[in-house]
Amino acid sequence: MNASMSYDVAIVGGGPAGMAAAERTIGAGLSTCLIDEQPRLGGQILRQPPPGFAVTGWQSGRLYRAARALLARVERLDAFDFRAGHAVLGVGAGHAEEGGFALSVQPLATGGVERIDARRVIVAGGCYDMPVAFPGWTLPGVMSAGAVQTLLKSPQVLPGGRIALFGTHPLMIVLAEQILAAGGEVAGVHFAQPRRAMLAALGPRLPGVLRAWRPLLEGARGLANLRQAGVPVHFGSAIVRAEGGDALEAITLLRAGGRERVACDVAAMCYGFLPQSDLVRQVGAAVRWAPGPGGWETLCDEGMRSSLPGLYVAGETAGVAGSDVAMLRGALAGVTLACDAGALDEVEGARVAAALRARIARLAPFTAMLRELADPQAYLPEPELETLVCRCEDVSARALDAAIAACAEGDDGFGASAVKLRCRAGMGLCQGRSCEHAVIRRIARASGREAAQVAGFTARFPARAVPIAELLERDAPAR
Amino acid sequence: MSGARRIEEGVRRPDRVTLRLDGADLAACPGESVLAALVASGARRLRDDREGTARGAFCNMGTCSECTVWVRKGAAAWVRRRACLVPVEADLCVLTHAPEAT
Amino acid sequence: MTPGSSHPDILIVGGGLLGCASAWHLARRGLRVALVEQSQVNAGASGQNAGSLHFQIERRFLEQGEEAASDAARIVSLNRLAIAEWQGLEDMLGRGLDIAMHGGLMVAETEAEMALLAFKVARENALGLPTRLLDADELRARAPCLSPHLAGAAWLAEEGHANPRILAGAFAQQAAREGAVIACGARLTGLAMQADGQYRATIEGLDGLGEVTTPRVLLASGHWSARLAGLLGLNLPLYPVPLMMNVTERGEQVLPFLVQHVGQRLSMKQSEDGNFLIGGGWPSRFRRRADGLPDLDRPGEIVEANLLGNLAVAARVMPGLAARSLLRSWTGTTCISADQLPLVGEVGKAPGLFVAAGGSLFTLGPVLARLLAQTIVDGRPADELALFLPDRFAHLNAFAVLP
Ligand SMILES: Cc1cc2nc3c(=O)[nH]c(=O)nc-3n(C[C@H](O)[C@H](O)[C@H](O)COP(=O)(O)OP(=O)(O)OC[C@H]3O[C@@H](n4cnc5c(N)ncnc54)[C@H](O)[C@@H]3O)c2cc1C
Ligand SMILES: Cc1cc2nc3c(=O)[nH]c(=O)nc-3n(C[C@H](O)[C@H](O)[C@H](O)COP(=O)(O)OP(=O)(O)OC[C@H]3O[C@@H](n4cnc5c(N)ncnc54)[C@H](O)[C@@H]3O)c2cc1C
Ligand code: FES
Repeated sequence: MNASMSYDVAIVGGGPAGMAAAERTIGAGLSTCLIDEQPRLGGQILRQPPPGFAVTGWQSGRLYRAARALLARVERLDAFDFRAGHAVLGVGAGHAEEGGFALSVQPLATGGVERIDARRVIVAGGCYDMPVAFPGWTLPGVMSAGAVQTLLKSPQVLPGGRIALFGTHPLMIVLAEQILAAGGEVAGVHFAQPRRAMLAALGPRLPGVLRAWRPLLEGARGLANLRQAGVPVHFGSAIVRAEGGDALEAITLLRAGGRERVACDVAAMCYGFLPQSDLVRQVGAAVRWAPGPGGWETLCDEGMRSSLPGLYVAGETAGVAGSDVAMLRGALAGVTLACDAGALDEVEGARVAAALRARIARLAPFTAMLRELADPQAYLPEPELETLVCRCEDVSARALDAAIAACAEGDDGFGASAVKLRCRAGMGLCQGRSCEHAVIRRIARASGREAAQVAGFTARFPARAVPIAELLERDAPAR
Repeated sequence: MSGARRIEEGVRRPDRVTLRLDGADLAACPGESVLAALVASGARRLRDDREGTARGAFCNMGTCSECTVWVRKGAAAWVRRRACLVPVEADLCVLTHAPEAT
Repeated sequence: MTPGSSHPDILIVGGGLLGCASAWHLARRGLRVALVEQSQVNAGASGQNAGSLHFQIERRFLEQGEEAASDAARIVSLNRLAIAEWQGLEDMLGRGLDIAMHGGLMVAETEAEMALLAFKVARENALGLPTRLLDADELRARAPCLSPHLAGAAWLAEEGHANPRILAGAFAQQAAREGAVIACGARLTGLAMQADGQYRATIEGLDGLGEVTTPRVLLASGHWSARLAGLLGLNLPLYPVPLMMNVTERGEQVLPFLVQHVGQRLSMKQSEDGNFLIGGGWPSRFRRRADGLPDLDRPGEIVEANLLGNLAVAARVMPGLAARSLLRSWTGTTCISADQLPLVGEVGKAPGLFVAAGGSLFTLGPVLARLLAQTIVDGRPADELALFLPDRFAHLNAFAVLP
């Protein structure tokens, strides 16, 4: 590991939340280091094209306007360090005397592992698509909706000739339009939930929701556009299986009218998002099971302080709520931190924070409605016994169930780690990010508990697998 | 073979460079991720699981690790990397299987 | 606790390897066994360790000078028993345990280390342990994946590794089949000796407090054992040691052996699945409680320098390791006794109170549990345990007051 660099603030994640936080901490005069493993600023919603690409009208839709404005402002700031292409492997305790935190960071281009010291840390690691296991889901060509979308946004690549979308999240409408705009073919948009379930989620909240009318309007307009372009949009159309030899050839869906087999070379799932939680759990901050898709959201106070002094969270890491809320929470974390650090006048800070919180509160009805409307829990496809639940270690539902049954003998409080020790689910390269929620759900179901009552995998260093040679770049002092 | 392709309309890209993938040459755009270059070329099978079944990329955002490959720049050593996080540049070799032990 | 087990013949405290294996042996011999585990079976050191089956004299004994080494050499006789125990274990438990006894190498890098190995091998051979010294060429022929700079190694064909993820659970399962009652999420919080010599134990369970009255208690509670003995006002010289372990991603099989180092802290092996497990006794560090004292109940935190130190030794011994990715580093807490030998048997001052704890009790756990069960059933210590009886520290309890 290489010599350390010291900052007032280190921010993990250069998405809307991390950028908004950086804008505030830099504005308060705090030395700030923003770190992201992606090569450019922007996060998932604004995955920028590579430098040297010129893309006409890139992300010019209304939904992206506020985030783009923030990106433009932050890119103009010069008084901060942006470590693009740097993966954060760990957040640990800092110097014994000075306190703070030490981050282990891997520059992906040059290799090695560096240490970054910071008095305070904001984790704004965002979220990732909920991976859902069903027969055939490991075939090349079955991917997350986010994967398709980010291939379109950044390198401007259409991953397939015919792309089918399935799941429960309305982001599918946005994505289908983006595929069409790129000249691609959408082989159907399949909402697993019936239309009336979506309307039921919308109805009672309509007055509050209407204040956030723009996304609703965009959604309705999107649906109309898809219909006009001849893209079939189905409700109550649930994925059953994916088929193919060495790669995907078709998916089968089940709905009231019967089964439909849809030929496609890409099928993208969109069941909602799980918060990135490995770093906060590794360093020991308190988390709780998130509603809807699940995963672990970090507990924080109204100033975005986690349960660990000096550690703040922002954006989807604190709970999935969309990019507008992510930006506001990022700004809030930055302001709170600046006050805590004595870099911002308390009174002024409190005033700004109150304004930010008021804006977050105004978005709350919409966020809640979206969560309910997109809630995948009642619509998750069922893996067959031979379906792999853990992709990395090839652990089937059958093997997982056997491990769960073995754990249940004489013990009713077991968690995901005990199951992992028995069957290896979660022991692979992704370090459990892909299967953890599914393992927890299966344990909950088998033992009659709520998912929130089942302990997850223990998060450990490193948050990303790292070659040993790179860890050892500097001669290690033997002890 | 998939119907994957680069979007050409409204997009100007830098001149292509050659990427060596498992010993074969592949034209790719500097800056796009190695995964994007593979996807655009129609390559979907990135590894085999323990049963010998084909696997491909899943998340394109560094989370699932399904796209992990070996990468070598010029004469440097092979390193393990998630292909979705490695920008294409000149002189880049990619292996989807472990390099011969040296 | 279920009511049916509130008057067992023995209460075992701890669902680690020692507790579960003892439970099985005792239940098989007809005792009514109740076992309480504060969290889950195998949640302690037994599920966190390196899984090494090492029967050569350990580096930690050689480290303390020749006298200590000759003392420790006495453990060799136990190691020989342990070898036989492991060889029969899968048959005994009637299931696979991922036991691989394909041999073990204790490597040396320098001539001085080779000399130490020669000294060790001579001692071991005299005690009947068939270790053999390999020179650099022999070592290379046997393990081509190891570094050519190594000076040689001590070889023992019976060494190897087993899967710590499944062993304690396998014993627990068999114990339950023999009628042992195993309660998880049940913590011993109080222990007293009654006037009639019986023990009254207070158990805090998921469904509230329970009481158990029993003539015998076995503390198989790992590094917690000393604190639990404190409930009776007794002293056991056991000290917690926070350690760390590392695991790499899977890769093709290249190393069938257990590898240790005579001059450095190292244990390294490749699992059945192809992962490399790297450890060898590198310390982690206890987190602090609010009052500043070390928090013994939480896993330690990783000391960066030790993580790097551990990986550096491993990569020096096996250069190919450097290209593999570290997947996870974890910490766990074991314990050592004042003289580094395990503490197994009855505590003389408190008849009916037994203990089984100490270091390296993965390798030695199965055989010690069997000998302890024999001791308990026969009512006198098994001969093989003579060296390990807790009463070698009886002086520490000279002032204890029991009914
Ligand atoms: C693939 C995808 C596509 C999405 N598309 C849309 C959309 O079109 N419209 C919409 O409204 N919402 C979209 N969302 C939801 C969207 O993520 C949020 O609304 C918004 O981007 C959240 O901002 P954030 O700053 O919290 O997180 P993000 O934007 O996700 O930013 C987090 C950043 O942290 C980085 N990071 C995480 N962990 C580490 C680490 N260990 N080391 C280094 N860097 C790390 C990531 O690389 C990422 O860039 C999408 C989500 C995903 C996952
Ligand atoms: C990182 C590491 C690597 C190691 N490597 C090796 C190796 O390679 N080879 C080797 O031989 N040994 C090794 N060891 C040592 C070995 O793991 C231990 O000696 C052995 O597992 C001890 O088993 P045990 O059953 O005595 O203790 P544990 O497995 O710790 O079990 C004790 C149990 O008691 C329970 N308990 C404690 N207090 C209470 C209470 N009040 N009420 C109810 N239950 C309670 C705990 O929850 C725990 O489950 C290693 C240890 C560590 C930590
Ligand atoms: S595709 Fe998931 S990590 Fe690259």
